[in-house]
Amino acid sequence: MNFLDILEQLAQGLGHTLLVTLTCSATALLVGLAMVGLRQLGTQRIGWVLDVLTYVFRGIPVLVLLFMVYFGLPSIGLKVNPLAAMALSLGLIAAAYLSEVFRGALQAVSASEILAARASGMSRLQIFRYIEAPQMLRFAVPGMINEFTSILKYSPFAYTVGIPEMTKQAMNLTATTLRGIEVYLAVGVLYFGIYWLLIRGVLRIEKHFRVPGIGDA
Amino acid sequence: MALIEVRNLVKKFDGHTVLNGVNLELLQGELKVVMGPSGCGKSTLLRCLNRLVEPTSGTISFRGTNITSPNTDVLALRQSIGFVFQQFALYRHLTVGDNVTLALRKLKKMSRAEANEKASFELSRLDMIAHQHKYPEQLSGGQKQRVAIARALAMDPAVMVFDEPTSALDPVMVREVAELFNRLNRDNITMMCVTHDLLFARQISEKVIFLEQGVVKAEDTIEHLATNHPDTKVREFFGREGHVS
Repeated sequence: MNFLDILEQLAQGLGHTLLVTLTCSATALLVGLAMVGLRQLGTQRIGWVLDVLTYVFRGIPVLVLLFMVYFGLPSIGLKVNPLAAMALSLGLIAAAYLSEVFRGALQAVSASEILAARASGMSRLQIFRYIEAPQMLRFAVPGMINEFTSILKYSPFAYTVGIPEMTKQAMNLTATTLRGIEVYLAVGVLYFGIYWLLIRGVLRIEKHFRVPGIGDA
Repeated sequence: MALIEVRNLVKKFDGHTVLNGVNLELLQGELKVVMGPSGCGKSTLLRCLNRLVEPTSGTISFRGTNITSPNTDVLALRQSIGFVFQQFALYRHLTVGDNVTLALRKLKKMSRAEANEKASFELSRLDMIAHQHKYPEQLSGGQKQRVAIARALAMDPAVMVFDEPTSALDPVMVREVAELFNRLNRDNITMMCVTHDLLFARQISEKVIFLEQGVVKAEDTIEHLATNHPDTKVREFFGREGHVS
């Protein structure tokens, strides 16, 4: 079995790795946006609740939360499928981090633009939707890339709940071929490939929406 | 009847009185200039007019309706008062065209085509149509000012208010803005302008209001205030450039 054969075998897990990464990234993005939106538009009490949630989710290890969701929830009658368990653990932890990235990016939106929008008669929701969020997302690109990369790197935890992603395939392959170095080198190459594609994709989107004066520095 | 009538307007911030019983009127088609030293409450006065700042007491009548009452539709009121800020405050992520059309589309519920047509008219009026696809970052200070004015005018406001419109501009651009003000004034657009730029004030209006320590101290021509007003502070403020021609 040569290196290409190993890559071919591992590619069987590639789809699952991508599925886990994309599902958790989408969860993180949507929940992170919802959190920052609620923080901007909601009451102070909602802000406190979000502070506590963010604090808790940032403090729990991914594997512990994953086991709590996948093995713990069935004990109270809630059975969660493996992909959903990943979204509810890795996805939500990443959402907590992303919401902080968004909060920092919001600070870069000019107060005078927000005041001008208020003066024109826009509601708080309209200001967030049309002025703050579009700029916030542009400012947050570097932080988002970091978070999506972290999600990719934590995706091997999926094998602990039975998702046959790349690392699981590598473990099986190593057990049958005893060629650990080549197998895990191939795993590294594949992860780097996914990382490279992810970065290219995000930068392409960022370039499409780039405007002079925002994120140029 | 005055378009805007301010009576005994008081605004306090944490016990500090910024406006201490302001009275003034703005008539339809009038261009009123408010001047005064830094911290005299000029900007606060403007912001009370559209409830960006909530007055502590007093009344503001807009088209005969007291807009300080709690049941005033503040968002609708703000659409009737075009506001141009000191630093222009253009939306950085939008082109010049979209800066002008955003409120038309989202607040006036115009279609994209209708809003573009309206924006083209206002940008042409201010000689900015050639720049409609540029972003604010790509414009000079004077051009940004024109876009900010076009954005406010596009909403067909009953009155335009300007908060220190020339403070970020060089003297050549200040002259351009003054010419623009005079053109808008000839078009019968009602305007109120806060400034501490004496040369600019002289170019756009004969009479000015002098605000000091939160009250209207005087309303007269700059020349008269500089030479004949009984209060030394007023004479010093308006005579600070020396010779008054």
